[in-house]
This record gives sequence, structure tokens and C-alpha cells, in this order.
Amino acid sequence: MQHGKYRFIVGFLAVPLGLYALFVIWPFVQSIYYSFTDWTGLSPEFSMVGFDNYSRMLDDDIFWKSLWHSVLFALLVPLVTLGLALFFSFMINVGGRKRKGGPVITGVRGSGLYKIVYFFPQVLSIAIVALLFQFAYNPDSGAINSLLRGVGLDSLQPLWLGDPDIALWCVMAVLVWSTVGFFVVLFSAGMASIPAELYEAALLDGASRFTTFFKVTLPLLWDTVQSGWVYMGILALGAESFAVVQIMTTGPGGPDYSTTVMVLYVYQKAFRDGQAAYATTIGVALLVVTLAFAALVMKLGRRERLEY
Amino acid sequence: MGSTSAENDGKGVGRRDLIKRSAALGLISVPTMSFLSACASGGGDDQEKAEAGEKTAENPLAVNESAGMEFVLFDGGFGKEYAEDAVELYEKAFPKAKVKFSATQKIQSTLQPRFNGGNPPDLVDNSGAEQMDMGVLVGKKQLADLTPLLDAPSYDDPNKKVRDTLRPGIVEMGQFDGDPVWILYYAYTVYGNWYSQKALDSLDAEYPQTWDEMLAVCEKAKKKGMAGWTYAGKYPYYIPFSMSPMIAKVGGAEVLKAIDNLEPNAWKHPAVKTVFEAWYELYKKGYILKGTPGLDHIQSQTAWAKGDALFLPNGSWVENESAKVIPADFGLTVSAPPGIDDNDKMPFGTIWASGGEPFIVPVKAANGAGGMEQLRIMLSEASSKNFTSKVKSLSAYNGGTDGIELTPGLKAGVAALELAGDNVVNPRMQDWYVQLQKEKIGVSCLGEMMAGRLTPAETIKKIQGYADEAAKDSSIKHYKHQ
Amino acid sequence: MKTTETPAPVPAESGTPVHKAEASPGGLEKGKKEGTTLNVFSHGVLVIWAIMVSLPLVWAVMTSFKDDASIFRSPWSLPDKLNFDNWSRAWSQAHMSDYFLNTVLVVGGSLIGTLVLGSMAAYVLARFDFPGNRFIYYLFIGGMSFPIMLALVPLFYVVDNMGLLNTIHGLILVYIAYSLPFTVFFLTAFFRTLPSSVAEAAFVDGASHTRTFFQVMLPMAKPGLISVGIFNFLGQWNQYMLPTVLNTDPDKHVLTQGLVQLAVSQGYKGDWSGLFAGLVMAMLPVLAAYIVFQRQVVQGLTAGALK
Repeated sequence: MQHGKYRFIVGFLAVPLGLYALFVIWPFVQSIYYSFTDWTGLSPEFSMVGFDNYSRMLDDDIFWKSLWHSVLFALLVPLVTLGLALFFSFMINVGGRKRKGGPVITGVRGSGLYKIVYFFPQVLSIAIVALLFQFAYNPDSGAINSLLRGVGLDSLQPLWLGDPDIALWCVMAVLVWSTVGFFVVLFSAGMASIPAELYEAALLDGASRFTTFFKVTLPLLWDTVQSGWVYMGILALGAESFAVVQIMTTGPGGPDYSTTVMVLYVYQKAFRDGQAAYATTIGVALLVVTLAFAALVMKLGRRERLEY
Repeated sequence: MGSTSAENDGKGVGRRDLIKRSAALGLISVPTMSFLSACASGGGDDQEKAEAGEKTAENPLAVNESAGMEFVLFDGGFGKEYAEDAVELYEKAFPKAKVKFSATQKIQSTLQPRFNGGNPPDLVDNSGAEQMDMGVLVGKKQLADLTPLLDAPSYDDPNKKVRDTLRPGIVEMGQFDGDPVWILYYAYTVYGNWYSQKALDSLDAEYPQTWDEMLAVCEKAKKKGMAGWTYAGKYPYYIPFSMSPMIAKVGGAEVLKAIDNLEPNAWKHPAVKTVFEAWYELYKKGYILKGTPGLDHIQSQTAWAKGDALFLPNGSWVENESAKVIPADFGLTVSAPPGIDDNDKMPFGTIWASGGEPFIVPVKAANGAGGMEQLRIMLSEASSKNFTSKVKSLSAYNGGTDGIELTPGLKAGVAALELAGDNVVNPRMQDWYVQLQKEKIGVSCLGEMMAGRLTPAETIKKIQGYADEAAKDSSIKHYKHQ
Repeated sequence: MKTTETPAPVPAESGTPVHKAEASPGGLEKGKKEGTTLNVFSHGVLVIWAIMVSLPLVWAVMTSFKDDASIFRSPWSLPDKLNFDNWSRAWSQAHMSDYFLNTVLVVGGSLIGTLVLGSMAAYVLARFDFPGNRFIYYLFIGGMSFPIMLALVPLFYVVDNMGLLNTIHGLILVYIAYSLPFTVFFLTAFFRTLPSSVAEAAFVDGASHTRTFFQVMLPMAKPGLISVGIFNFLGQWNQYMLPTVLNTDPDKHVLTQGLVQLAVSQGYKGDWSGLFAGLVMAMLPVLAAYIVFQRQVVQGLTAGALK
């Protein structure tokens, strides 16, 4: 077994690792280095300033607001998304009426159609989704308020993105809307491969369908749920929250900093204010938050693997 | 799989393996070495500059006739056609030169690496949401002084310098710290209250000159089911387009200068308080279009164009931007904001007008003279007329409106400028302190006040706090009115 | 559970009696009633979500045929007439066909590269013990949490110095590099669950490590590769930040760049109907591809979902 092992290992790792080190690690190492400088991003000159950027960050109210919102994004968006997705896929796969002579557990009629329709938002890039919802949230002639007026709720005309109390929730809802479908398809696939005997056994034991969800479905899907959580949380901390906040919100990041997130703040400092060094400092903080998030999920999620 | 690694693998390494292995290593290390020596900011290798050409009457800037010229335009509300037309003229003048023209909305993400690397293009229209911070560019000595261009003979009249063909204020706006002129603003924007003359007529009203009259007009409009005002609620930094000149009218232009200079307690001036309270009155009396705080600029302009609201604080680009939704018989008009009453320090007509579309020539450009020559061409009467007729905006060229048919908005803008005479104010906050003006004052204070979530007194306190913070912040470069 | 032993998914509509349940007492009687309630409830909820998901898209399609004024005036009304010129305007301005081709090239190339390189690295990290294994693993995993935006400027220089700026293959290499973290994370977990007996048998038969990998392990990992491939496809198809900086040549733009450009410039020109036409144009091919390949996608995921 050992023959040529190291040669093999090196041979297999060299190219991926090389590519990764070159295009990912090295630029990031440089970025971290810049967080100790006063680099503006607009000229090659800079000098070292030690921990100035870091102490400035700790005193920066906007930074703390954006940190808090980012944490909310990483925790709530995956929670709601995966929760909904589990619920829907359970409905699709297990919610069907028992037909005479059919299997104990069936999907609802038209389950295939649901899986297609639910996946729709996933084929749109998040930027397009944000753009669509910006129209929908328009308080004056937007789709949602028009609809509310249409059903006689004239008194209920929220400002949506214009109201600091609900703007953040509006933005999160868009992320949930656009990603639930993907996980429905993923989880449905997982549920479909759970042997029906397991359900049957549970039902025979007198379990209701809902308890079978917690006794059978969830434990067997746990690994998928967990990687989904990490994947979704990282997206919600990074690229996706940037796109929705940047495109949809007041300012962007408002009203009154109620929706600003770390990744937006990085962008604004680097590409608007000419403070690239400070931007990288916030980026380093974002890195720490993301790593902590991933570690937390992996730790909480660790449990005995079920074999059957 | 038994990979316990107890056994040492070393003995299995033959010569062939060694060669293979070093080849694999080489694959990583070769590129690594080449970029280690030139990391991101490892500039210094500035591009070679084109040699100067021969200075003649036709070529006063001594452009090298065969040197390439690169021009990056911001592709925004004005489109790119006007610049393409000007590029054609440049190519005609220098047939041997290869001109590279490109237009983008992502100014900073495309150009930042090139500024860092010392090979920026020769002419940049540094505008839009991704505008590179001018203060930083100037502070870090990345821009060329445009004085040679301003002192060169103008394109149309060799006896007249370029600087003498420009509208008042254009040259001053390009200065940051002393004489050098770093920026040339090509467009000329009139800010103020935009409205439909037809709608105003239908209310049987005149344009109000005092705030009591303003409230009366709004009340009339309200009775007809029309809101008095709307604005870009999601970008409340449109509000100052009408509010700032009003502050100047009430308290004098010095108030705005003190604000720009971040002087202590500048916002505590009584004129600011009076104006804020006047505007807050619009909210309290229900004269603001419902839902306005949730509208972006396009949405608010559309609501206004379809007659949901009478007045809109905006700039002269609105005519082009909303051309598709403004009805033909709209009677688009702009007027200076009304004041409070007869005790105001400045006369009615005091308006905000200033340059837009900042063009810069990077100091490290290979062919900076070419970039300036391109600007000189754009500042000719013909190019300026072309710009005005294509994009419905005035240019920095003083004049250039004879013989072309002006659109209603342009006509109103020219009339408003005439009425203003010398009473043109030019607040600089939005160029000097972008974050302070847009995000802090605009979104977090003015936007909140007009949505009724802050009182005028609270707003002033909050703004003054932000302004003091900015004045103390050593990471921001500070500027003062000359 | 071993993936290879996964039973075929229960076909929901086929009616083939997989397991007869008649004989079972008590629990099932209750189950029947409950099933009906559940059925009504689940249909209700599912239909509501289906409407919520499809309405905005239907609305977008509808809007792409309207003129600008009525988009704002009456967002829910049907278009007065079908304004096809919105579509032709968007098509000619946005160069959709060119951008589409570029995107297919870039995403196709980087998807294959990501899967090959990612599975090689993941395999080694999952099944071989060697000094530095954990370090390299966490180095890859850590990459998931790097905000790409931070690296843009230094990355530009790396790519520029290698002469890869504004090239399709340069973009492919960068896409691969940035897709590796999640791919390695996902596939390492997957390879760990594969039975070692088969590989050992192959190895005893005299196959080299390399051959074992390509001929035995990779085929076994197919479900995992499909799953991670789909994740990567969606990510790379929608990638926007990297091409913006590394691929500024208008001829080589990818679809997202074209779309954002369209969105921004239409925004400045107030041409919203044109923008919606462009959006719909960009979304239809992906939607069509999904509907056509839906069965394969779901099957791939089904096999890969449980490890």
C-alpha cells in the first residue's frame, strides 16, 4: 500500500494546491498585510501604521452595526431557509394522501412540478432577484402594496425598505425566497432515498407523520443539512448579502444604517472612500466572523452518524 | 485504506521520480517567483511616457502625433455618443494615433489596479457610483495639473484661452488646494425645484417665492389629490439640491461655506434651523407623497412625472433620465427654491449650479498631452452643442446654446441661471466628503427627518455630531473654500 | 449507509405497490385520517409557496412586454400590446449571444477543472495520512470564508503578471481556484464515506494509486461529483466580481457582466422595459436547461444526498 504513496500525494496535490495558493492565498495574505498600512487603494504609495486601523475599527459605530447585521444574516437566513426547505420537501415527499394499494408514504400529487417551480429563483442571479424585488417593494406603485390595496387593505401600506424597523427583514426575506428552492430539491432527493421500510416501521410503532419527520427524516438528512447550513451561512455573510443590500436598500445600507452589513462596508471603504487599508481591516474581521461561524456550525452539528 | 505512513517512503525515490517531482515543484514555483517580485502595490515601473510632439498653432499642447491615446468614459446618464463623436475629431486631427476608447460604469474596479500599477489611461471621466475619491487622488498626487490646457488657445478662437470660454465656477471647482486645477467638469448642472408648469397652472397658482406661498400651493394641490412634494427617499441626498440653496438664501452663502469647511457649530446657524423646520412642516402637513421614503430616484421621478406630486428636488439630468415617462405636454420647469420671507439674506433666484462629469488626466498617463487635447476638442463650441443637443444638458462651455433648439427643461435651466445672475451657490460637500454628505447627513439625518422619524432639532444635533467627527477624522483629507 | 446501496427513489406517482400496508393495524387507521388532513394542509402550503415563487417571474416576463410608463403606473395590469422592440433593443445592446457563448466556455472549462482538481485534492486529503494533511485541509476550508472582494486588487496583479488578464483561460484558472474550497470540503467528506475495500482490492491487483483513483474511486464518487458540480455551476454561472476586475475586454464579457451593464445603463437611461427584456432573456436558457435536465439533476442529487 505504501509504494509510491508520497509521490502520488504530491502529484495529486501539486496542481490544485498551487493554483489555490497562487490565486487565493497569496492575494489574501497581501490583503492582510495592507490592513497594517494606510494604503488608499488609489496610489502605490503607503506606509506602515501598525494597529491603527484595528483600533479605529473598534471605535467605529458603523462597523459594529454592520457586524451585528452580518451575524443576524449568518444565523437567521440559513435557519429560516433550511427550515422552510425541510418543511416543503417533507410535504412534497411525505404529505401525499395514501392511495389504496399504494406505498405508506407518498409524495403529494404534482410533486415533480413543485420541484421544478420551486427551483425557479435559483436560475436567476441574485443581482437580478434583488432588482426584481426592488420593484416589488416600491411603496407607491410596487407589486406588494398594489396587491394590498387590491384586496382592500388600503390602511396597510408599509414603507418596506424605507422603514428602518423592517428594512433588514425585507432584505433577508429576499435571500430566503431565492434559495429555498435549491434546498427543497436537495432535501427531496435525500428523502426519496430513505427506504420506505423505515417509515413503515415508525408508523407501525404508532408514530404520527410529524414524529417520523424528527425520528427518521431529519437524522438521516443531518449531514446534508449541516453542509447546507455552512454553505448558506457563508453566502449570507458574503456575496449574496452584498448584492441584495447594495442593490435594494436605502443609501445603500440604510435607512439610518439599519441594513448595512460587513461586506458592504468593505466595499464602500475600498471603492467609494479610497480607504483600501481600512477596508481590508474590516475584511479581516469578516474573515474571523466567517471562520467562527463555520466552526460553530460544525461543532454544534457533530453527532453520531446513523447507520442503517 | 491502510495509510498509516509508518514506512518511510524515501527509499523508493529514483532518479526519474526526482525529476518528476522537481518538475511539479517548478510548476508552482516559477509563477510564484515572477509575481513575488511585483506584488500589488509594487509599482514604480511606471509606463513610458510618449515623447512630446511639435508645438504648432493647431497643436498647442504639443501632442505626439503618433502616440496612442486611451480614453475611459463613465457610461451613465449621458451615454457615450457625445464622447465617441469627440474621439472621431481627435482621430481626424491625429490620423497616425491609435485611440482606444472604452466606456464603463465600473470606473473604480477597472481603473484602481491601473492607478496602482502606474499605467492609467490618458483621460478619465471619473463619475458614477464607483467614482474614485477625488480627494485621495489629489492628495496622493495621482492627477495632472490641467493648467496647460486652460492656458492653451481655445479650439475655436486662437486668441482666447480655454479658461476664458468656460462657465463661471468651473475652474474653481477643479481646484483643491491652491492654484493647480486637477479636474475639469464637463457638464453643467442646474439644481433646484423641478415641476410641471401645466400642473401648476391647473392649480391656478404661481410658483411660490416665500414659504407661506409654498405651503399654500401644497394645500391647493392636496385638495386636488396631488401631493406637494416627493423626492428620492432611498437616496435622500437629493434633498439638499433644493435645501442647500434655500439655506444660503435665508442665511447667506457664508453659512454653506462654513458647513463645507466643517467649522464647529456650522449647522447650528439659525438659518439651518429655520429651513429644516420649514421642510419638516411639509411632512407634518402631509404634503409629501405617501410612500416617498421607500422610493428610489427613478420611482420618485416617475410618480412625479405622472402627476402624483408637484415638486421634486433634482438636477438637470432629470430631463434626460426620465424622458420616457415625462408626458409631452408636461411643461418641465426648474426654479430656484423659495425662501422664508422678505428678511432672507439673498434674493429670490439664488440657485445651486455647478459642474458635473469630472474629467481627469492621470499624472502617470503615457500621453497626458493627448488626454488634454481630447478635452480641448470637447470644449469647442461644436462639440459642446453636440453634447447639449444629444444629452439635454449644458456643458462647461459658456454659451453653446445658440442655434440649437433647447428642450423645455434646458430652457428653464438657462432662464433660472439668468434670474440668479451672480447668486449661484456651489456647495462642495458632495465632492469633498462623500460618505458624510450622502450616507451620514443624507440617509441618516435628512432622510429620517423627512420621514418624520427625527425632529429638526434632533436632526441638527445629529448632523453636527457627524460633521465634528469628520473634522476630527485623520483618515479623511480636509479641504477649505479658498 | 452506503450510497451504492441506496434503493431507487420511490416514484411518487407510479402507483407501483412498493410496500403493501393493508395488513397493519391501529397505527395505520390513525395514519389514514391524519394523512388526509396533512394532504389538504400540505397542498395548501405548497401551492401558496409555488405562487409566491412564480409570481415575480411571471411578472418579470409580463413587464418585459410593457412600455416604460405603464411599468410604474399599473404594475399588475397586462401589457396593452406586446412591445417586442424591448426585446430587440436589449438583444442588440446587450450582445446577449456573445456573452452567452463566453459564459458557456468559461463555466464549462472551470467546472471540469474544478471537479478534476477538486476531487484529486479531496481524495488525497480524505484517504491518506501524511504530515501536513490537516493543515492543507484547513487551508482549503478556510478559503470558503475569504471575502473575494478583499483579494481583488492583489489578484489583479497576480493575473496580470502571468499574462492572463482578459483571457478566457485565465478566468477559468481563477474560477477553479476560488471554487476549490467548497469542492474540497464537500468531496473530502464524501470520499471518507466510500468503502475502502474496493480500492484496496484494486490496489492489491497491482493497480497504481493513480489508476485506482481514476478507474475505481472516481466512478464511485459520481453522485458526489454531480452534487458539488451543481453547486459550482450555479456559483460560477452567477459569478460577477471576478470577471468585473479580471476581464475588462468587452468582447470577452460574460453574461452577468453584460446584465449588470445593461441594468446600470438602462437605469441611467430609464429604459426599464429594455432591462426586463434583458433579464428574461438571460433567465430563460438556464430555466430551460433546468427543466430539460431536471431528472438528471434530481437523480444526481438523490444519489449524493445521503452519504
